[in-house]
Amino acid sequence: MIRFIIGRILWTIPVLLLVILMTFLMMRHIQGNPFRHSERAVSPEIQANLERKFNLDKPWYEQYFLYVKGVATFDLGPSLVLRNQSVNDIVREHFPKSLELGFLAMLFAVVFGIPLGVIAALRPNTVFDYGAMLFSNVGFAVPSFLIATLLIYFFALKWGDIFGLPTSGWTGWQSKILPVIALGLGPMAYFARLVRGTMLETLQQDYVRTAKAKGLSGRRVLMVHVLKNSLIPAVTAAGPLLGFLITGSFIIEFIFAIPGIGKYYITAVSARDYSVVMGLTVLLSVIVIVANMIVDILYGVLDPRTREVRT
Amino acid sequence: MVVSPQDQRMRSPDPAHSGDIQVAGAGTPIRQSSLWRDAKRRYVRNKGAVVAGAIFLIILAYCIIVPIVSPYDPDEVNFQDRFLPASLAHPFGTDAFGRDLFTRVALGGRISIMIGFAATFVILVIGLTYGSISGFVGGWLDNAMMRFLDALYGLPYLPFAIITLAIIGGTPTKWTMVLALSIASWFTAARIVRGQIITLKQNDYVRAATAVGARWYRVLARHLVPNTLGVLIIAIFLELPGVILGEAFLSFIGLGINPPAASWGSMAQEGRDVYRTHPSLILIPSLMIATLVLCANFIADGLRDALDPRTKET
Amino acid sequence: MALLEVKDLQTHFFTREAVVRAVDGVSFSVDKSKTLGVVGESGCGKSVTALSIMGLLPQPPAKIVGGSVNFEGFDLATLPEKSLEDIRGKEIAMIFQDPMTSLNPTLRIGTQIMETMQRHLGLDKGEARKRAIELLDEVHIPNAKDRLNDYPHRFSGGMRQRVMIAIAISCNPKLLIADEPTTALDVTVQAGVLDLLEELQAEHEMAMIVITHDMGVVAEAADDIVVMYAGQIVEQASALDLFDKPEHPYTEALLGALPQIEGAGIREGRLTAIPGRPPDLHDPPPACRFAPRCPYADRGDSCTVEEPQLREVRPGHWVRSAHPASERAREPVGAGT
Repeated sequence: MIRFIIGRILWTIPVLLLVILMTFLMMRHIQGNPFRHSERAVSPEIQANLERKFNLDKPWYEQYFLYVKGVATFDLGPSLVLRNQSVNDIVREHFPKSLELGFLAMLFAVVFGIPLGVIAALRPNTVFDYGAMLFSNVGFAVPSFLIATLLIYFFALKWGDIFGLPTSGWTGWQSKILPVIALGLGPMAYFARLVRGTMLETLQQDYVRTAKAKGLSGRRVLMVHVLKNSLIPAVTAAGPLLGFLITGSFIIEFIFAIPGIGKYYITAVSARDYSVVMGLTVLLSVIVIVANMIVDILYGVLDPRTREVRT
Repeated sequence: MVVSPQDQRMRSPDPAHSGDIQVAGAGTPIRQSSLWRDAKRRYVRNKGAVVAGAIFLIILAYCIIVPIVSPYDPDEVNFQDRFLPASLAHPFGTDAFGRDLFTRVALGGRISIMIGFAATFVILVIGLTYGSISGFVGGWLDNAMMRFLDALYGLPYLPFAIITLAIIGGTPTKWTMVLALSIASWFTAARIVRGQIITLKQNDYVRAATAVGARWYRVLARHLVPNTLGVLIIAIFLELPGVILGEAFLSFIGLGINPPAASWGSMAQEGRDVYRTHPSLILIPSLMIATLVLCANFIADGLRDALDPRTKET
Repeated sequence: MALLEVKDLQTHFFTREAVVRAVDGVSFSVDKSKTLGVVGESGCGKSVTALSIMGLLPQPPAKIVGGSVNFEGFDLATLPEKSLEDIRGKEIAMIFQDPMTSLNPTLRIGTQIMETMQRHLGLDKGEARKRAIELLDEVHIPNAKDRLNDYPHRFSGGMRQRVMIAIAISCNPKLLIADEPTTALDVTVQAGVLDLLEELQAEHEMAMIVITHDMGVVAEAADDIVVMYAGQIVEQASALDLFDKPEHPYTEALLGALPQIEGAGIREGRLTAIPGRPPDLHDPPPACRFAPRCPYADRGDSCTVEEPQLREVRPGHWVRSAHPASERAREPVGAGT
């Protein structure tokens, strides 16, 4: 088990290096040398200074090495546009809001999606089941900007007197309700479908029949034998869901004017603040890659069969 | 065989879906008309998939035909006709510039669907290449290539799409959008292809071909790749929703297709400015996207029943 | 008095297309500490009978539509689920065909053995653990103490079936139902599992119902035998009498399908030698269900238009056929030789 965990952690390192390299090369390609662009007229002297400051006078592999070193020590470098701010400052300012939004949305998805899937699976082919699956299908297909707009239209404007929810911002719990629902609805639909499927499959298993044959109570059969085996596959959904949440947060933060990473990313692209764009991209990639690693390890802990096969 | 948690992820979210036991799709050579006939029969039995397929075709027909026969110039600004409500002359009403929405939504659909299919195609080409190399060569290379994919699984495509657009520079066009949307979205397709190739490799007719001395490229080109056709067709409709939504997201946040050119995403963005007074302007393009995505999901489901019955447990 | 008495049991499956009469009027009884063998091809309703007794059939589509299952004064067919739970695993235990899938892959086998005792005997964790080790010893699993913490995938098929048996006997049941206990196992370990079952039966004074398609299995273990065909009992007798003088042509065919009646090769027998296949059970015609495959049934026979009843051809030997062996003494036994 320990070998498996260490192996998985070690394997993550070259992947991280490769993804950073990809990002780095892509950014270099746009960037070239930002200070030679005609937009900002600077004297050759200042330019040389700036180039030194941003290591642009060094060959690309050295720049890459320095950048990786920076990432490893949690230093994403300075911002190109905001001269006295580092990317770290920007992350520190904006990331907690995105993290909170993502976490709450995930919580919403888990708390409502899993029970929905479980109940649908326990009453297959009933009106409830069909309703839940229709909801799930629709929830996954409707673009989040429409959901967000509709939520604002109804709960902040049309019935604003009743609910009193603000249309934008990220201050106070009232302002967080609509964005969390708008972002969490898709993952919730996904969870409901996934859990329903794995549940139905698990209920057919011989070992569930064994558990019943032992005279265990319906509750224990469900909680110990069915639910655990049904939810293990749901754990592996965390990877794609995280990607989904990150993508979704770009839209949701944009619509609700939440000063998070997603909104700032768009701002940075428009402002051509490429060191920020690159820093944030690397940050998001690292989060996903590390989350995948944790999911794999968790899966190994939860399902004893995979442990040995994979070491 | 290595059982990885990712194999689990690859399954449809709805594996225990009722179904019949069928002849294997992957195990049989595809040069049999009966296989396709069986597939059609199984597809037709899935009512949801049939209805979804019909709606999908209707939307396609609408997008192709309406701009040709429409009496309105989709770009002509006419301020007297601003925000007209739906009527016989304008089934969807008109927008902030007095343009006929029925025509414009069809035009936007052309762009959205075109980008969707083109990007899906690129994704499948990359996925087919990566997946068949990994699956065919096997051994440590397969292991390394797959673990690489494992690690990248779920990498958000939006930042990479945005960077790609920035590299190319200028105003995004259809083609730059296609490239941007496919660059970080091919992981799933690669994994599907690889799984299929590995299954096929264990088949007797492939072994027989190798045993009688067929060259590797012949085995690959003649036996393996053609038999991935089934899963590739399914993959088209699995990938399409993501790409169409991706295009819409990019255009919606203003980094994709820009006015006056129209896609459903950019139209939704324009509609968003006036949603308090004229909600139909954001509703119509958004619902078109939702309908198309929903149909694609149901079609993928039906195709899975039809072409690859073994992927779901009975 | 019989421990378990099944009377005219009828279990039907209600599918969208039709009603399948999987078990159609089955009656038998099992006495204390005795073994009943239930034999028949797959699909003949023997497993459905067992699951009906246990109340483990998925409802819908299955439903017990008639008859009774008397066990110590209770009718299991109509007992509410809650009371059934108290009987399952404690009074009546069951082991299944495929030990590879019958254990929960994500729970340690110790947990899976202990939970039954914790449920029925009210043991605490420590006591249950101690008992579990004894049980693993009893089913001859070496290193019982360490293996308690292993997951099922670390065990071979034969070993898993032993674990299943340990779970089944953990609460000293009065009746053990073994549904094809050796079918999924390698030939080399089948005998060991059967010997173990017999050994435990004597020790725990359990009654047993052994369900199998393999005449060789019941030849060794059973006191009485019930032969089922197409949802009905076609022959019922003591094991000695049945093997000595089989009456029903189907039983004869089953025995004929054995490579040899005596000797070591007994268990390799499979029911492959009978031409034809069992009838559809959704709408059986009013005729002997075996008639289409019966070597003695002619076109004009009464058994092709009228269903024969189960009758006693000699004391304790019942048969459902118009052509039992004892009534066609001069005819040669045709099948399977």
